[in-house]
Amino acid sequence: MTLASQIEAYLTRVTGGPVKVSGVARISGGASRETYRFDAQTPDGVRGYILRRDPPDSLIETDRSAEFLAIASFAGKDVAAPRALWLETRGAELERPFFIMGRVDGGAAASPFQPDPYGPHADAIGARFFEVMGRIAAEPLRDLPLLQVMDAPAPEDCWRRELDYWEGVIDADEAHPQPIVRAAIRRLRHAPPPPPKRVGVVHGDLRSGNFLHDGAGRILAVLDWEMAHLGDPLEDLAWATDPLWSRPDDPRVSGMIAFEEGVRVWEKASGLAFDPEAFAWWSLFASVKAQAIWISSAKAWSEGGAEPVLLFSGWFTARAQDLILAARLKALGPL
Amino acid sequence: MSPKLPDLLTGLAQAMLVPPPAEVGPDYMASRQGLVATLLILAAQEAEKGPAARRWENAAIAALLDAVREVYPATPRLTTARPDASWSELDAENAALRQALIGLHIAAEARGDAATQIRILTLYEEMAQARRLDLMPNGV
Repeated sequence: MTLASQIEAYLTRVTGGPVKVSGVARISGGASRETYRFDAQTPDGVRGYILRRDPPDSLIETDRSAEFLAIASFAGKDVAAPRALWLETRGAELERPFFIMGRVDGGAAASPFQPDPYGPHADAIGARFFEVMGRIAAEPLRDLPLLQVMDAPAPEDCWRRELDYWEGVIDADEAHPQPIVRAAIRRLRHAPPPPPKRVGVVHGDLRSGNFLHDGAGRILAVLDWEMAHLGDPLEDLAWATDPLWSRPDDPRVSGMIAFEEGVRVWEKASGLAFDPEAFAWWSLFASVKAQAIWISSAKAWSEGGAEPVLLFSGWFTARAQDLILAARLKALGPL
Repeated sequence: MSPKLPDLLTGLAQAMLVPPPAEVGPDYMASRQGLVATLLILAAQEAEKGPAARRWENAAIAALLDAVREVYPATPRLTTARPDASWSELDAENAALRQALIGLHIAAEARGDAATQIRILTLYEEMAQARRLDLMPNGV
């Protein structure tokens, strides 16, 4: 049975009418799910969709319910979230857990490593990127679908919950001793950040490369919500501005706009004041979280994962992250 | 990650030999092959610099451990591998040395020993630089 016929059987059942599926093709789209595009013809016409299905191995162990509900939490709101349509946590006709969302056509995602990825539209893309980030942070939690699968932490617990989780990932997946990231973890525990003024939705992987843009200055869709959670909104700002996502020869954030300009836009959209002390903590944390992901990736590759992205992340990206972490620790000085 | 060159190349070859599922489109395969090409470029860098970087790091950590042993007597004595050591032997020694370095750093933090901490933080930067890999200017 082909994947197309499996999707067809599923959609025919859940929509209660005849569905013809065509054009199923795997695309690059995040490393934690298999991502496919397809078209479905119903009596109402032909529409484009995206299928996100759990793979046999994954770069990040995440809950597809949280990803689906995070996207659904922003339906119709001004953050360019796709349309979340169907979720199957048991796999149903497709054998592995999956969800389906509406496809956004006509856009492309930039590689974080390519030079000048947005060309003459960098200012517009950058302003919109930080505006979207601020709007996600500003969203009131009350009645959000995401709350069906997770609780909001107390403000003073945001940092600990995230650091405990990602240190646990390193403990579980580290194959070779990593003194640099371990030193960073100790420093983070030594001086926790001040609590956020407000707990909000954190996208968790909002950065250049995880949104579609139209090549003319518009962001069409924000992707890869698999690490969405509730926490300190500064976490997204720190993650997006980690030096890993910017070329060393370009002072802008990911080839978009200057950091200070991005913060100004974020403050206006989020209604939050930028706290340099808290941001410094979350910046170091962002590099620790990233290294945890790369360590997991290395483990998945060494255990037989065939996807080259696992090796790229676990090897090249991990070493680049060590450079960032080591420079940050040196600048911070002794404890 | 401290991959050995034969493992890298074998893994990449296997990634290219595995037949793609029927649903995999040409765009995905082109992207995947581009990534394999990038990884081969990185493997060439690792082949050139990897053994020397491992030997340098092992010697640098061992030298630091030796230098502070009077103040930190619990620091283990770890000899560096012979010049013709294999990658596996160098990595095994490196794992032991890095573990000892972590222990030394924790001890230096506990004592408030700023001078030793600064030496360790400087060494971290040098270790990261020694193992650095570079993409091509176009981001490949």
